[in-house]
Amino acid sequence: MPVVDVDPDELRDLVGTEKSDDELREDLFALGLEFEGWTEDEQFQLEFAPDRLDRLSVEGIARSLRYQYGTDRGVYVPNTNDAEWTIEVDGPPAERPYVTGAVVRGLDFDADSLESLIQVQEKLHATMGRQRAKGAIGVHDLVALKGAAGAGGEKTIRYTSMEPDGERFVPLDSDEELTPREVTERHHMGSEYADLVADFETYPAIYDDLGLFSFPPVINGRRTEVSEASRDLLIEMTGTDQWTIDHMCSIVCYALSARGGQVERVDVEYAEDTPGEYAGHTLDRPDFSVKTKTVAHDRIESIIGVEFDTETVIDCAERAGLDATEQTRDGETVYEVEIPPYRVDVLHPLDVTDDIGRAYGFNGLEPRYPEVSTVGGRHERSRLEDAARDALVGLGFEDLLNFHMISREENFDRLGVAPGDEYLGGGHPVTIREPYSEAYEILRTWALPSLLLVLENNTHREYPQHLSEIGLAAHLDDSENTGVEEYQTVAAVLAEPGVSYEDARARLQALAGAFDTGLETPPTEHPTFISGRTAEVVLDGESAGVIGEIHPKVLVEHDLELPVVAFELRLDALR
Amino acid sequence: MQLPEAQVAVLKTADSTTDRPITEIAEAADLKPETATRAAFELESAGLLAVTERTETTTELTGEGREYLEDGLPELRLYSAALDAGADAEPVPLGRLLGEAELDGPAVDIALANFARKEYGTVESGEVCVDPDRDPEADDERLAVQSLAAGERVENEAVVEQLDRRGLVEVDESTVRFVRVTDDGVTALMEGVDVAETVDQLTPELITSGEWESVEFSEYNVEAEAEKSQQGKEHILRQTANRVKDVLVGMGFKEMDGPHVDAQFWINDCLFMPQDHPARTHWDQFDLEAPEEIDDLPAELVENVRNAHLEGVGEDGEGYHSPWELDVAKSLDLRGHTTSLSMRHLSGFAEGELEPPERYFSVEKVYRNDTLDPTHLLEFFQIEGWVLADELSARDLMGTFTEFYEQFGITDLDFKPHYNPYTEPSFELFGTHPETGEIVEVGNSGIFRDEVCRPLGVEADVMAWGLSLERLLMLMYGFEDIRDVHGTLCDLELLRDVEVVY
Repeated sequence: MPVVDVDPDELRDLVGTEKSDDELREDLFALGLEFEGWTEDEQFQLEFAPDRLDRLSVEGIARSLRYQYGTDRGVYVPNTNDAEWTIEVDGPPAERPYVTGAVVRGLDFDADSLESLIQVQEKLHATMGRQRAKGAIGVHDLVALKGAAGAGGEKTIRYTSMEPDGERFVPLDSDEELTPREVTERHHMGSEYADLVADFETYPAIYDDLGLFSFPPVINGRRTEVSEASRDLLIEMTGTDQWTIDHMCSIVCYALSARGGQVERVDVEYAEDTPGEYAGHTLDRPDFSVKTKTVAHDRIESIIGVEFDTETVIDCAERAGLDATEQTRDGETVYEVEIPPYRVDVLHPLDVTDDIGRAYGFNGLEPRYPEVSTVGGRHERSRLEDAARDALVGLGFEDLLNFHMISREENFDRLGVAPGDEYLGGGHPVTIREPYSEAYEILRTWALPSLLLVLENNTHREYPQHLSEIGLAAHLDDSENTGVEEYQTVAAVLAEPGVSYEDARARLQALAGAFDTGLETPPTEHPTFISGRTAEVVLDGESAGVIGEIHPKVLVEHDLELPVVAFELRLDALR
Repeated sequence: MQLPEAQVAVLKTADSTTDRPITEIAEAADLKPETATRAAFELESAGLLAVTERTETTTELTGEGREYLEDGLPELRLYSAALDAGADAEPVPLGRLLGEAELDGPAVDIALANFARKEYGTVESGEVCVDPDRDPEADDERLAVQSLAAGERVENEAVVEQLDRRGLVEVDESTVRFVRVTDDGVTALMEGVDVAETVDQLTPELITSGEWESVEFSEYNVEAEAEKSQQGKEHILRQTANRVKDVLVGMGFKEMDGPHVDAQFWINDCLFMPQDHPARTHWDQFDLEAPEEIDDLPAELVENVRNAHLEGVGEDGEGYHSPWELDVAKSLDLRGHTTSLSMRHLSGFAEGELEPPERYFSVEKVYRNDTLDPTHLLEFFQIEGWVLADELSARDLMGTFTEFYEQFGITDLDFKPHYNPYTEPSFELFGTHPETGEIVEVGNSGIFRDEVCRPLGVEADVMAWGLSLERLLMLMYGFEDIRDVHGTLCDLELLRDVEVVY
């Protein structure tokens, strides 16, 4: 979940409140922003669910609080000035065809507000931007840019592509002129994002009249670096989805507008033969258009569980920063609800209903037990499992619960079994891709290895140790839709001085008897057990498992100094 | 005749002509008094001995009584001192007499009260006059104290009662049992009585032969702690799971079952999780190298789900601006939640089409690529439940969960609005811990979005919630490190000693 650092004093300034830290924290909690702790420089660390990405900045959080306090109501859209700048899109890499942008003028940065601008970029990169793969933001000091003269007198910059070795520029945080490839290889910030362009034949590039100033999504040039002295900014965003970068752009513009910036539109001119969906189109950006959802009054009532008059619904919508207009459609009361451009989370009328519920106050609702009558019951598999577990516990076994994930070594090697062996436990295992830990790389093909591990880890505990487990085992099986046969396995071990095959057979007999299944134990061989003291478990004529005395080499391998007898069988054989 | 040893001793020691106290018999026969008493009653029920009871009163001097035996009763000391000082002729100041009689503290009040009660004289305005004709040597109470000290009985009950009131004696009533050998007893003794052997172990032979009637069982130390017994026990987490299942079945929920290895389609896509959602990266879920892909997914459902992702659901719905690939949907994972089972059930693929109302649950393993620490496991049990009905509201959800958590003592549930990609509205559930009173997170819940339900063919409302069973266990029973309980690092001793769940 995203975490944002917010200076409480700055928040108070932007909201226009004098509330104490504690009061602020309470109000933030009500918005769904949880106080996680203080940062080193005494800022709130706030954690929140990743839907309201417009709250990734202190400006956005302040806006939400102003709505909560009733200081602001309804949809707000900053006014914008006409475009002076144009972004020409001409042959960028097909893997990253889209760009958007805006100009914001008249800013007066201090350390805090500059910090906040950097934070909102980072947070948007991490969330909507999918670590810059889907959308990457570049912010530039407009003073350092020299627009090329366009046909209509506008100033233009150009989004295009470049050869990895065909350019040289000084990236941020460097004094050295580097080629783009060198940036991805050598620059400490550039190399972090090298993977994003690793498969590109040509790299994305943005030029002004003076040359290359941005290498998205990797790094900006030093020439246009923003500082506290910057007054006017050019924002550009590139990515793989126009909607995504347009909305990231709206969120950044709203934040800068809240700092007193004046937003100025830019034209994004896609050339005729450029890749992507917008070839030949000019987009007017930033896209501050307000979208509309139609929400039925009945649905609001049925979801929240409260009867509303229309004034309340409209009031709640406005307190959520939306505008609602009552209408009648097919004899039904509905609301046309307007949603501001920074709300990237609203996909469906339901999302508006939720906003209305939050503004009304979900926590004030009276819980009621639904008058819905149904018949409950356990699954047959789980009843069978419980009955077998009861039988084993009645026989004196301590019921255990082990992980289904295990290492190959524990599951196979240490018991002398190999994948593909015909023995019990020798199935081909379900294998995890790139496991972090060798301890958990496959799903166990049987449960006996888990029980031997428990014995190994408890040699300091009192004997006898009679352990059993009923749980999942799985192996590959082409005849299954998932390619895996999953089943419940019953495993048991008896560890104590003087224990022998007969002790295990006695308990297995009792278990089989409890389920009225006929037990036969013809001799067999299994590498985990002592030859001549190993039998196949046959229940009602079907092979179901194995029983025997554990081989000394397996005992020694598990640091056990006393005999262990064991059996394992499929649970469904007891049916 | 054969009798247990104690009975033989009592019978032989008792007399056929006089009643003798059992205590005396016990001493003579070298038995503990309680053993002799028990033997006497057993002999009585066999008709060999007659037992009679008498209530005996014993009167003994208290510490104070013995003190006065030596120093004299305080009132008599005052009388003697007064007489010596000539108080029979004219009043003498009390203060002087107290000094001479060596009376101080509580003794002064005792002396004055009893002096007046027995009318040895009068005390007025601090001056004492005495009656010269009284004989302190013949004082009843003095004589009684002396008799008691000598072990003699005091026949005058009024005096004893007075001494009792003064706290100078203690009167005890006790039952004394006397025994006498009956005629049958005499006959038995003449015919010969032998000691029966004592036995340690009650054997089948003793029972079937009837020999148990004449044997005596040796006494055990019944207070001693016994050896540990080998005990089977259901795992604490299973007990907790069963407790949860009981509650849910009681609330009308049916149990679900389904695969641990499943297609991302069922795990994520049906839940309207965009394919480029950060939680769908390799970092959070266990992708499989073998097997890689599910063979078949239901084509119509796939189309519906794909449309929901790309175009949204309903007139005003929007999809995600994220790519959607069938290959990703088909790829196999260890399930990160049991909501995959809910999707299989709601879509009708698990048990056929469902008609509202329905309630379903599962308490099953899920797998998360997390860091193993005292509160996080890579695999844990998820409690998952949902209700399908024509119309459900946030209030129904709150009512259901309030009921559920109250079964575990978690009250004052708080519903914090929250975000999940698959539910709207969504609530994180917080409750008050029954022991510590802390506010703790106890689950995540919500009403499934239309983008989840409609593609599955569900037109009714579905509310759902999830919670980790381990978390419930830790909350309820105070475990601090879940690894002690779940997995091969478990401590057998802890599992053996842990209290049962009910």
